[in-house]
Amino acid sequence: MLLLIWAPKAWHRLSPLKPPALLWTPGGEARHVRYRLLSRQGPGERGRQTQPQGPGFRTRLLITGLFGAGLGGAWLAARAEKERRRQQQRTEALRQAAVGQGDFSLLDHRGQARCKADFRGQWVLMYFGFTHCPDICPDELEKLVQVVQELEAEPGLPPVQPVFITVDPERDTVAAMARYVQDFHPRLLGLTGSAEQVAQVSRSYRVYYSAGPKDEDQDYVVDHSVAIYLLSPDGLFTDYYGRARSAQQIADSVRRHMAAFRSVLH
Amino acid sequence: MAAPSMKERQACWGARDEYWKCLDENTEDASQCKKLRSSFESSCPQQWIKYFDKRRDYLKFKEKFEAGQFQPSKTTAKS
Repeated sequence: MLLLIWAPKAWHRLSPLKPPALLWTPGGEARHVRYRLLSRQGPGERGRQTQPQGPGFRTRLLITGLFGAGLGGAWLAARAEKERRRQQQRTEALRQAAVGQGDFSLLDHRGQARCKADFRGQWVLMYFGFTHCPDICPDELEKLVQVVQELEAEPGLPPVQPVFITVDPERDTVAAMARYVQDFHPRLLGLTGSAEQVAQVSRSYRVYYSAGPKDEDQDYVVDHSVAIYLLSPDGLFTDYYGRARSAQQIADSVRRHMAAFRSVLH
Repeated sequence: MAAPSMKERQACWGARDEYWKCLDENTEDASQCKKLRSSFESSCPQQWIKYFDKRRDYLKFKEKFEAGQFQPSKTTAKS
C-alpha cells in the first residue's frame, strides 16, 4: 500500500482501474479513498503524458507518517493493556499471599494468642532463636534492637515491631520468654507455642533448626539458621538480613522499603 | 534449668574473653591459663563451654587456613 504512495509510476498504472475493483482487496477501501483524494487526474490528464504526476512528496510523507503513527499507537495501546493486566494479576497474587502465607498461631510472652493478622499495618522485624543461645542470638537481637531504636528516633517513620520467635519450644515457655525479652527492648515481643506450632511457623519462614544432644545437665544448644526477616504492613515477606549486615545497613534497607511501599490490601 | 540472664551472659563472655586472651599470649598453652580456665568454667553453662571451645578451634583453624598454611597434597593436584 505504501509502495503505491511512493512509486508514482505504479500509481499511474493503476489509475485506469475502476474504483470498485480496488474495493475487493484488503485495505482496498482505504486505497480507494486515497485514490480519490490524491488523484489530480481530471479531464486534462491525457494532455500531460510526458510528466508523471502523482501525489506530491509532502503529501506522500504525511500519509506514510500518519500510517506509521497509527500502527505505533495501536502497538503502544496493546502493550499498555498487557502491562495493566499483568499488574492486576500480580496484585491479586500478592493479596492472596499477604493473607494466607506465613500465618502462625503462637503465644506471646504475656500469654496472649497471636497470629499474623495481629501485625497487619505494622512493619515487623522478626528473629528466630532460643533463650539458651550462647552468643549469636543475643548479638543478633542487640543488632535488631539497634535498628528499631535508630528508626524510632526518626520522626515521620512508622514504628517497627521487633519479634523474637523461639525454635526451642520445649524449654522456652511463656515465662522464660518474658524473662529473656525484657533485657533487650520494651517493645520486643517474644512468641512461643507447642512443638507443632513452632514447626509450622518455621516451615512458613524456611527456618532450619535442630536441637543438639543433651548433656548431663539436660542442657543442649539448638543449631538454627540465622536471619532477621522484614515483613511489610501487608504481612508480606519483604527482605531478610544475615549476620554480615550491620545495624546501619539494615536500617537503611528498611527505610528504603518503607519509602517504596504501596499496600495491596486496600 | 533457667537460661542465663543478661548479667550472667556478660559475666560468662567476660571470663571467656580473659581465658582466650591468655591463650593468645601463651600460644595456646592451656597449662599457663589454668586459673582463668576454672573461672571460665564456673561462669558458664557446660554446653556453652563446649560450644566456645569448638568455636575457638574453628577460629584458630580459620586463621591458619587464611594464612595459607594448608597446601593441597600432591595426589589432589592430579585429580
